[in-house]
Amino acid sequence: MYVSSSSTADISILKSNFNRNNILRMSKLPSEKLSTYKLVVVGDGGVGKSALTIQFFQRQFVTDYDPTIEDSYIQHTEVDAEWCILDVLDTAGQEEFSAMREQYMRKGDGFMLVYSVTDKQSFENIPHFYNQILRVKDKDSYPMLLVGNKIDLVHQRKVSEEMGREMSQRLNVGFIETSAKDPPHNVDAAFHDVIRIIRKFPPPPKKSRIRINNKLKCPLM
Amino acid sequence: MLDRYVALVNADPNSVCMGIPPHLHEAHKKAIRLTLQVWLDTYIDDFRDPPLFSSLSQIQEFAKVYLPDSDLSIKINHKMNKLKKEDEAKNSHLLGRILSVNDLNISFPAAQTNGYSQSNSTMNLPYEFLCIPETIFAQQLTRMDAVLFQKLIPHQCLGSIWSQREKARANASPTVVATIEQFNAVIYRVQSTVLVETDLRPSQRARLITKWIDVAQELRLLKNFSSLKAIISSLQSNPLYRLKKTWNAVSKEKFELYLELARIFSEENNQLNQRELLMKEGTAKHAETAHADDRHLPKAIEKMSINPLAVNHGTIPYLGTFLTDLTMIDTAIPDTIDSGLINFDKKRKEFEVLAQIRLLQGAANAYHFEIDDRFERWWDSVLVLDGKEVFDLSCQIEPEGSSSTPSSAKGGRSKSLGHVKNNSIGENSIVSSNDSFIINHSDASSVERKLSTSSNSSLPSVNMSVHSSGTSISPSTPEKTPRSSIHNSEELSEISSQTSLSPYINQDFYIIKVSVESEAHEVEGVNLYKSIYVNNSERTPSVIEKAMQKHDMEGDPKDYTLAQILPDGEMILPQTVNVYYAIKLTHELKFVLRRRRHGDENTIIRRNPAKNHKNIVYNNEYVEYFELRNVTCKSVQAARIIYKNMGIKIMYKTFNHYKANDLHYFFSSYKK
Repeated sequence: MYVSSSSTADISILKSNFNRNNILRMSKLPSEKLSTYKLVVVGDGGVGKSALTIQFFQRQFVTDYDPTIEDSYIQHTEVDAEWCILDVLDTAGQEEFSAMREQYMRKGDGFMLVYSVTDKQSFENIPHFYNQILRVKDKDSYPMLLVGNKIDLVHQRKVSEEMGREMSQRLNVGFIETSAKDPPHNVDAAFHDVIRIIRKFPPPPKKSRIRINNKLKCPLM
Repeated sequence: MLDRYVALVNADPNSVCMGIPPHLHEAHKKAIRLTLQVWLDTYIDDFRDPPLFSSLSQIQEFAKVYLPDSDLSIKINHKMNKLKKEDEAKNSHLLGRILSVNDLNISFPAAQTNGYSQSNSTMNLPYEFLCIPETIFAQQLTRMDAVLFQKLIPHQCLGSIWSQREKARANASPTVVATIEQFNAVIYRVQSTVLVETDLRPSQRARLITKWIDVAQELRLLKNFSSLKAIISSLQSNPLYRLKKTWNAVSKEKFELYLELARIFSEENNQLNQRELLMKEGTAKHAETAHADDRHLPKAIEKMSINPLAVNHGTIPYLGTFLTDLTMIDTAIPDTIDSGLINFDKKRKEFEVLAQIRLLQGAANAYHFEIDDRFERWWDSVLVLDGKEVFDLSCQIEPEGSSSTPSSAKGGRSKSLGHVKNNSIGENSIVSSNDSFIINHSDASSVERKLSTSSNSSLPSVNMSVHSSGTSISPSTPEKTPRSSIHNSEELSEISSQTSLSPYINQDFYIIKVSVESEAHEVEGVNLYKSIYVNNSERTPSVIEKAMQKHDMEGDPKDYTLAQILPDGEMILPQTVNVYYAIKLTHELKFVLRRRRHGDENTIIRRNPAKNHKNIVYNNEYVEYFELRNVTCKSVQAARIIYKNMGIKIMYKTFNHYKANDLHYFFSSYKK
C-alpha cells in the first residue's frame, strides 16, 4: 500500500570524495554458490496458500502464467543485501493426499504455517502442522512463520490478531498477518521474513543445503 | 450455467414473437439442440439432482414445446428415466448396505475362524502379504486405480471447484475424493504391513520394505504413477523413513532401486521429472524412459519390452500435480476480464490441463486386469491405522531419540538446539517482541561469527541485528524512522521498551534519501536529496517512480536505475527486488537515481577500482539477453530462452548456482 510521502526535502552537501564516473565501473564477481532456501507452505485447503504464493511470484511474470514451467516457483531475491535463491514448495490442492506432506516437509529449510482468519478450523489445525514438522525434522524447534491470511475480509474475521499472536508465542514461531488480494498486504514481508528466520536459525543453513542437494539420500547412507 | 440456458430458453420464444427471420431461428434452434445434446451426453451429472431433477425437467418442458419429436426430446426422456432409476437403485443400495453391514458384523467372526481352520482350501484364503507375486500385486492395484481414473470427471479437478474447504470439496468433487481415498488406502497399507508387527528383527522388516519396493517397480513398468507415488510417499513418510536399522538391512541393490523410483517424484524444478515422464510415456505403449543415472530400472524395462505379453498398457497419472496446477491457474488468473466478460484465456489454460487428463483417461482403457479374489480379501484384511498410531508403532520399534546418535551430524545439531532452548529464555539476549525467535548470548555471537566469515568480501557486513553485546542493538540507521501505523503500534512500543528489535518485525517503511545524478550537480559538487518513503511491498520500479515525482523529473521510470551509496561503492537495485528488504541498513540510506546505463542490469555492487581491479567489458552480442532480462525479470528463464534461440538445449540446473546477475560471465565463457 502506498503511504503518503513526506514533504521534507533536505539539501545535503556531498563533498565528492570520489568521482563516480570513474569508480563505479566495477561489478561484483560471482561468488561460488548462492544459498538456496527451500520454503514449504503448509496449511489447510482453502486458506489461500496458493494466493500468497502466486501474489509473491506473479509480479515477476510479466508474461503468461504457466504453472508447469520448471522454475515457476524459484526466485532470486535479496534480503538484507544478501542474495539468495528462494525455492517455494506449495502443494495447494494436494492437502488430502495424506503422508505426502511429510515427504515434502523433510525437504524444507523453513515453513509458512498458513491459516485463514475467516476460518477457525484452519487456525486450530495449525499445531498439527507444527508438530508434524518438528517430528519429521526430529527437532525441538525449526524455522517457521505463522501466517494469518485473508485479513482483507474484515467482516468475516473469526480469528483475531491477538489469538494469532498468542498461538505464535505458544509455538515460539514468528507471526504475520497477510492479505493476498490486491493491493497485497505483507506478502513480500512474509516470504522475506522466513528467509531471515532461516538465516538466524542455528545451525546455519549450509548443512541443510547439502542435504537438499543430495536429496533423497537416506540417513543411513 | 443453467441460468444462462434458462435465459436462452426464455429469450427464444421472444425472438419468435419479434419476428426474427425463420432461417435464423432454425439456426438458433439447431445450436441449442446440439449444445444440449452434448451436454447431456458428456456431463450427465450436472442434471443429477434428485428427487425432482428440476433442471432436466426444465429442458424436458422446453423440448416438448419447441423441439417436439426431435432426437433431443427422446434423449431427454430417456435420460430422465435412467437418472430416476439410478437414484432409486442408489437409495435401495444404501439401505442394502446398511443391512449387509449388520450381516457382516454378525458373520465376521465366523468367517475368520473358518478361514483359519480350513487351511486346506487355500484357494479361498486371502494372500499372505509376502506371498503375493509382485506382478499380480501391481496389476491389482492398477486395476483399482484404473477404474477410479476412468470414472474421474476431469472438470471436478478445476481450481474453482476443488480448492474449497474440505466439506464443500467432498460434495463438489466426489470422483476426485475417490481417487485420493484410494491413494491414501495404499499408503495406509504400506505403513500398516511394515509396522504392525513390532517384534520383528530389522532384517525381517527390511524384507517387508523390499517387497513394497518390488511392487513399486512393477507399478513403474505398468506406468501406474498413482500407486507408485503412494508407495514411495509412504516409504518416505516419517514413521517408515525414521527406521534406520530397518533401512540398513535393506540390500544395497534394492535401496538403489528405491532411490531411482523416488527420483521420478522429486519435487525439484517443479516436478520436472514426473512431468517429462508423463509427456513421454503418457500414451506410449510401455514404459521406456529411465533417468540417465539409473542402473536398475533400465534392466527391468528392457526385460519387459522383450516379453510380448507385457505391452499395451495405459497410464495412470498422479492426480495431485494436476490439482495443484489447476489450483494455481485458478488463483493466478482472474475469472473475468475488465469489462466483466468471461476470461477465456483462463478457460483455455484450464482446458489444456483437463485435456491432458482426458487423453490419459483414454489411454487407461488399455488396462485389462481381472479381479483377483484372494488379493481383494487380503486388501480388505489389512489393518488400517491412523497417523498417530503408526508413529507410535514406529517409535516402539525404534525408540525416539535413537536416531540422533552422537555419531551422526544430525544428533550433534539437535543437541545444540536443546541448549538454545533451555538457556535462552530470560537471557539478556535478543528477544523479539513477539517472542518468535530467541537466540541466546553465546549462540548469537557464534552466529555472528559464522555470518561474518561466510559473507564474502564484497558484502562486508551482512547482518544487522545479531550482536553479541549484552544488550541487543537495533541497526545503526539514523534515517530509519520506525513510524507505526495503528496496526502495529503496540508491537513497536514493546520493542522500544525492550530495546531489542526483531529482525523481521513488521515495520511498515523506511525513509530513504535520493539524489539525482546529473552533470550539473556533479560540477557543483552539491547533491539535492529528497526523502521518500519505502514501504515493505514496493519493488524497485515503484520506488524509482516516486523518486522521479519528488524530483519533478519526466520520463520513463524504466530508463532509470536506483543505487544505494555505500562507503566503498554503490549497490544498484535490480528491477525485481523489494527495496525495503534489499537495502543495506548498516549504512546510510542514501541513494542516487540516474539514467540507466548499458550493463546496469547485470551489476549489483560497483566498487572503487582501488579495491577491485577486475574490469568487465560487455559484448554487444549479449544485448538480446539483457533485454530479455528486463522483460521477464528472471535471469534463469531468460538464459534458457537465449540458449534455445542459440539452438542449444541446456538443462536449467546448469544455471541454478549462478547469481542472477552473473549469468553474463557464463555466456562470455561459453562463447569462448
